[in-house]
Amino acid sequence: MKPQNKLFTGLLTLVFLLPAYNGFSQAHPKGDLGIAVNYFISNNKIPSLMVKVKTKVDGRFQNVAGISLKLFLDKDTVGKFIAKVVTNDAGEATAYIPSSLKSQWGNALKHTFVATFDGNSKYEAAKGDVTVAKAKILIDAGNDKTVTATVLEMKDTSWVPVKGVDVVLAIKRMDADLTINDKPTFTTDSTGKASGDFKRDTIPGDAKGNITLVAKVLDNDQYGNLSIEKAVPWGAKFTMLNTFDKRTLFATRNKAPIWIQLIAYSIMFTVWGILIYLVFNVFKIKKLGEDKIS
Amino acid sequence: MENLIRNEKIISDLLPQKFGKAGKIWVGVLTAICLVGLYAYYRQLRYGLIVTSMRDYVSWGIYISNFVFFVAISLVGSLITAVFRLAGVKWGSPLTRIAEIIAVAAIIFASLIIIVDMGSPERFYNLFIYGRIQSPIIWDVIVITTYFFISILLLYYPLLPDIQILLRFKESTGKRLYRFYSFIGSFWKGTAEQFELSEKAINILCIAIIPVAFTIHTVTSWLFATTYRPGWDSTNFGAYFIAGAFLVGAGAVVVAMYIFRRAYHLEKYITENHFEKMGRILVLLSLLYLYFNMNEFLTPFFKMKESEAAYLNGLFSGNFAPLFWFAILTGMIVPTLILLFKKGRKPLPVFIAGVMVVVGAWFKRYLIVTPTLLHPFLPMHDVPASYRHYFPSWEEWAITLGSLAGAMLIITVLARIFPIIPIQETITEQHETAE
Repeated sequence: MKPQNKLFTGLLTLVFLLPAYNGFSQAHPKGDLGIAVNYFISNNKIPSLMVKVKTKVDGRFQNVAGISLKLFLDKDTVGKFIAKVVTNDAGEATAYIPSSLKSQWGNALKHTFVATFDGNSKYEAAKGDVTVAKAKILIDAGNDKTVTATVLEMKDTSWVPVKGVDVVLAIKRMDADLTINDKPTFTTDSTGKASGDFKRDTIPGDAKGNITLVAKVLDNDQYGNLSIEKAVPWGAKFTMLNTFDKRTLFATRNKAPIWIQLIAYSIMFTVWGILIYLVFNVFKIKKLGEDKIS
Repeated sequence: MENLIRNEKIISDLLPQKFGKAGKIWVGVLTAICLVGLYAYYRQLRYGLIVTSMRDYVSWGIYISNFVFFVAISLVGSLITAVFRLAGVKWGSPLTRIAEIIAVAAIIFASLIIIVDMGSPERFYNLFIYGRIQSPIIWDVIVITTYFFISILLLYYPLLPDIQILLRFKESTGKRLYRFYSFIGSFWKGTAEQFELSEKAINILCIAIIPVAFTIHTVTSWLFATTYRPGWDSTNFGAYFIAGAFLVGAGAVVVAMYIFRRAYHLEKYITENHFEKMGRILVLLSLLYLYFNMNEFLTPFFKMKESEAAYLNGLFSGNFAPLFWFAILTGMIVPTLILLFKKGRKPLPVFIAGVMVVVGAWFKRYLIVTPTLLHPFLPMHDVPASYRHYFPSWEEWAITLGSLAGAMLIITVLARIFPIIPIQETITEQHETAE
């Protein structure tokens, strides 16, 4: 065998052997995932699911991104498929219940939502589920600025009031919601109602003073997350003060406040007027000198 | 006849003199320093502001310290010429020309150093294109230009009678200088009408220069005070800057008085009495500036707000402490102690005190600018180590020293061209005294 052929054969052998290197090392054990399924229904319309995936690393839970999950209604079979989702950086993924499952949704008073993960090179297969009873929440705003939420559960074919459910009565804001008074939650009575007095009179609303009230049931074991909104004109009228393109100290040069222009330019013109006069004065002196010569 | 002889003696004493050997060496040294500064500026133009040590924290380094120093020193023109004149202080008249020359030289370099600080000079043009009348920077540009113009006029008007005298000495002045004198003042014939118009103009200038002088330094102080930073967030800044400016200006005048007196043998005209009186003025101004410094530092020290603590501790006992106490001691306390005693108000001690005031004042301006910029209220995260410290690069030193040398060169050249003590005014005063 020629030397170059020997070299080529050697290199080829090395190339084939390299992938086998992994075979000498012991495979890492796969991680376990925890899948939490949360049920949401907003304004009693289309229900949605939010799935959160976590794993334990060094004794601490961490969100897991990029996990592909299949969501099912009641059973993980083909006909009950809701959606396929992938978790984001917060380990979360959301999906609405599709209209194709409307008949299955109407057939029962309680439903179980199932999320399955088939497993991958890092994590074992996992499953999570949540069971919720069909419920809805109503909101009413009285003239005396009382906010009332009513929680109803579907029993047989009618909605019946539910007693003892904690409800948050709040005002919807840009970020977190603000409770209508100092009480964090209100509990429904035997009529399914929970009421609270609105104590945030000075809160800014839109241009007409409209604010959005919201009644929420959060993480309830039986009903999941329910919320409903209602707009009321109870806020202070908010007039947006936009100084853009107005005359301000921080505006562009052509939008300088009139008062500053008046002061600055009058001082400038006065002082420079005097200086120009003094320059002319030199010419006057010059002329006097020339007259003297002539 | 006696008067005529006396007048001729004054004229011959006060005529501008050609540079001797020492003068030529002095001009040569200053020119060399300026050339090194120019080379450093070329490097800054070629490679950008990266050749300086200024970074995102200290974006105003010794250029701006130097600018404030020049603006401060230029205020002397208004003090000696205008304030003395309006207050009827006669003894100050031999010092007016020195003060005005210093003012003109300082204001020229104050303007130039700002352009240097901008990096590329064409950015100065942007100030006029995009400048906003709401901005203190534009006020500063306007007021510096105004002050420069007033200072030139205040130098020029009292020169006119002296030009007439200078034109009599065609042989000794040389052709080019004679042509220059003719151009700027051959029309002056010393008539009563001309004197009347000139006196009126000088009076107007003396009245106008005081508010403009106060404005120039107040506005310069507002460049800092309108910026929310530790040490600058003060309502006292305008008065504090003006007090400091009068002190350094007076210090510069006594230094110049001593040097010109020695170099041109002007002992008869700049007498010990002038040093005695300027010494007293320096004490008053030192104490006034010390008072403002106490206001500026004692109250923040007493409160020691957390956000300002690092800045204040840095000044009082930290990295900047040696410089801070040097500036306070050299710039105010030691000169005051020297000048409080009668013996301390002799020419040499006054000169030494003046040098101390000027040197202390330069470092004081450095301390106004740099430590504050190193301690922002909202520090940046993960900044490079070079941002947290500032020591000027050789280019910055060269440009700064070049500008100082340039200002001294202008003073030297103006002293070569024009009589350093007003001749006509001295003659008139001698006559009045004789009568």
